[in-house]
Amino acid sequence: MTINTKNENGKLALALTGRLDTNTAPELEDELKLEGVSEIAFDFSGLEYISSAGLRVLMTAQKAMMACGGRMTIAHPNAMVRGVFEMTGLSSVFEIVP
Amino acid sequence: MNRRWIVFAGAAAVFYSVLVFFSWSALTQRAFRQTESMLDYAMLDLDATLNGSIDTMLMHAADSITEQLGRPRRLSTEEIALIARQRDLDEVNVVARDGTFLASTDGRLVGLCMADRPKSAEFLVLTNGVRHALSHHFRPGAHNPDVRRKYVGVAFPGGDGLVQVGIDEVRVTGMFPSIMGFIFDAWLLGEKGFFLCADLSDGHLISNPARHRDEAKFLAETGYDPAAPGVVEDGRTTFQATLFGVPHDCRAVVFCGHRIVAALPPAEYYSTRTFYAALIASVLGLVMLAFVLLVRRIDIDSGRLRSFYAAEEDRRAKEYAIASTIQNSALPAPPPPDDAFSLAAAMHPAREVGGDFYDSFRLDATHVAFLVADVSGKGVTAALYMMTSKTLIKDKLAAVRDPAEALTQVNAELCANNPANMFLTAWVGVLDLETGVVTYANAGHNPPVKLEGPKGGGREVGFVTPKSGPVLAFMDGVRYKSFTLRLAPGETLFLYTDGVTEALDAKGALFGEDRLRDAVLAAGDASPASICHVVRAAVAAFAAGTPQADDITVLAVRYTGRGGGKGARRRFPATQSGIAAAGDFLDEALAENGPSAESLSPSLHVILDEIASNIVKHSGATGFELEFEPVSDPPGVKLVFSDDGAPFDPLAHADPDPTLPAAERPIGGLGIMMVRKMSSSVSYRRSGDRNVFSATVAVPSPS
Repeated sequence: MTINTKNENGKLALALTGRLDTNTAPELEDELKLEGVSEIAFDFSGLEYISSAGLRVLMTAQKAMMACGGRMTIAHPNAMVRGVFEMTGLSSVFEIVP
Repeated sequence: MNRRWIVFAGAAAVFYSVLVFFSWSALTQRAFRQTESMLDYAMLDLDATLNGSIDTMLMHAADSITEQLGRPRRLSTEEIALIARQRDLDEVNVVARDGTFLASTDGRLVGLCMADRPKSAEFLVLTNGVRHALSHHFRPGAHNPDVRRKYVGVAFPGGDGLVQVGIDEVRVTGMFPSIMGFIFDAWLLGEKGFFLCADLSDGHLISNPARHRDEAKFLAETGYDPAAPGVVEDGRTTFQATLFGVPHDCRAVVFCGHRIVAALPPAEYYSTRTFYAALIASVLGLVMLAFVLLVRRIDIDSGRLRSFYAAEEDRRAKEYAIASTIQNSALPAPPPPDDAFSLAAAMHPAREVGGDFYDSFRLDATHVAFLVADVSGKGVTAALYMMTSKTLIKDKLAAVRDPAEALTQVNAELCANNPANMFLTAWVGVLDLETGVVTYANAGHNPPVKLEGPKGGGREVGFVTPKSGPVLAFMDGVRYKSFTLRLAPGETLFLYTDGVTEALDAKGALFGEDRLRDAVLAAGDASPASICHVVRAAVAAFAAGTPQADDITVLAVRYTGRGGGKGARRRFPATQSGIAAAGDFLDEALAENGPSAESLSPSLHVILDEIASNIVKHSGATGFELEFEPVSDPPGVKLVFSDDGAPFDPLAHADPDPTLPAAERPIGGLGIMMVRKMSSSVSYRRSGDRNVFSATVAVPSPS
């Protein structure tokens, strides 16, 4: 998995390519330096699939944003990833755009 | 200033003192001998002068008598008494040639024969016509022993009889002041010595050196005491006496009622002793000082050298520690074994760290790379170069997968920047786990040993044909070539560095390739780890205590072949990297099963990830086995997980409530829920001591 990260004035933009699973989840966790961050924008257009290890990282980030009144968005998940969000009920928790 | 130096300086001081002491003693001896010989000479001179003067006086008297008488003849008592009185003589005898006393002042002698009187008989030698005169010393008189008398005889012409004259000591004593005084006054004894002559009866000085004339009229006033201890007045014994307040070396003699003392002040000879002793002491002192300073200089220099060497040794030890740390940190754990191969490696650093290293890692599910390399040189430089080389080789090999191409690129990069002119040898192989084919390239490294599997009566062992390119980092633009060899299941390849073959025994013999081949053969069926150990032990036994000069590195890889035959089952260690390897295995299996199976990839990967991470995190298993099984009714794929962990049924846990708000959700339990929802069927059973979990994913129908 590759992660392309940009941080502009507290807005953290991450574009993920590949697989987000137990092997790669720690990488994403490392990338998520949330100090001073008020908005996280994930671009999932390059993400093949996500496992529960990846979901945990996303949930942790979502909780952190809710706690500080920030916002987290997930853009362009593929059908597989969207299916995982739905089957786990997380589609109602995450803000998925468009 | 150290203790050794103090001891040395002390020894030098003692040596100096001894030298000065002996010089002083020698000079004292010399001064003493000079004093003695001067006094000897003075006493001989004194004796000759005193006795000679009296002899001369008596001879003149006797001569005048022989002239007066003309020839020996009888004389009346009055005549002979007159002759004696005129000449102040106490005795006069006229003796005929036959020894008969013709006349004498002692009437008793007339008519007697001189030959009958033992002492007097000696004078008859004068009648031989050759000898003219003879004198005797003072001696006690024949008739009166209290009167000491001296005789002188003179022959008449032709030895026709003789005249003998005698004089009493008492008479000479009376004449002494007038006759002898002037002799002593003018007499020199060395430069500063002098004679004292005093009347024996009253001690009145008749002679006194001019310097002290006013200081003393009597001998006692000079400080001389004849009764003092050590004083021997025999003319031969030197003794010390304080005269005029100064100690003198003295000899004394009593002569004709007078005491004569010859005195030599110490300044006469001993002053030169002081001068020469001071001279010798200063010259010796300067020489000793120069010597001591020279030795001190050498001591300081050698001290500096010692501390320099100690610092150098310290620096080396630190460098060794650093290099050792670098080297050890660079040695990887071998890749997890699976059904197809097992691998072990070890590196034993020498006293001074060299640049040996080994590496082994999976390129993908079916390829394992392994290599052994040896960087030239030792110490930190070699260790750092080793790190660079190791990283480069691994990176290039992972990227291009072909050993030759990887080494070609590594060589180009190393040559581009090699200020220290280091180089290294390397043997790099890639084992295809499907076929047992090893593709390899060699950069100047020792050829590995191939240990064939057991067949018939035993094993065969031999070196891989040493096809090789040049060493790395040596020449730019080198293109390496790959070669292949094939390992049948059960066969082993053994890699090593020259620390093995070039190990020395006490006699300087090399361990060599024959012993290496024997050791590998002896290890035979043992595991790769045991082969490494056996070879290492054989080298140690051969060296038998000879210090190890170079790093010893060994690596053994055994191809065991794919087990099972269905080609889609494999064991993985229960680690994170085991999960990654299982993911690779899944990709390979999917690729072999066509596009419809590949469409299931995301779901299958998620299932693999969830189940395998459950096993790794919770079961305590050492490994797990994954079986990939295509199914046909309905078409799909079945994944079967089997692990040796604690009994655990993931399906027995309730799914989490997906309707809870995010902030309230427990993180966990999601995974197994996803597995359930993605699978068309899931099952769990406990089989023996293993958990067996299977999940089937169906290919979605076209509708």
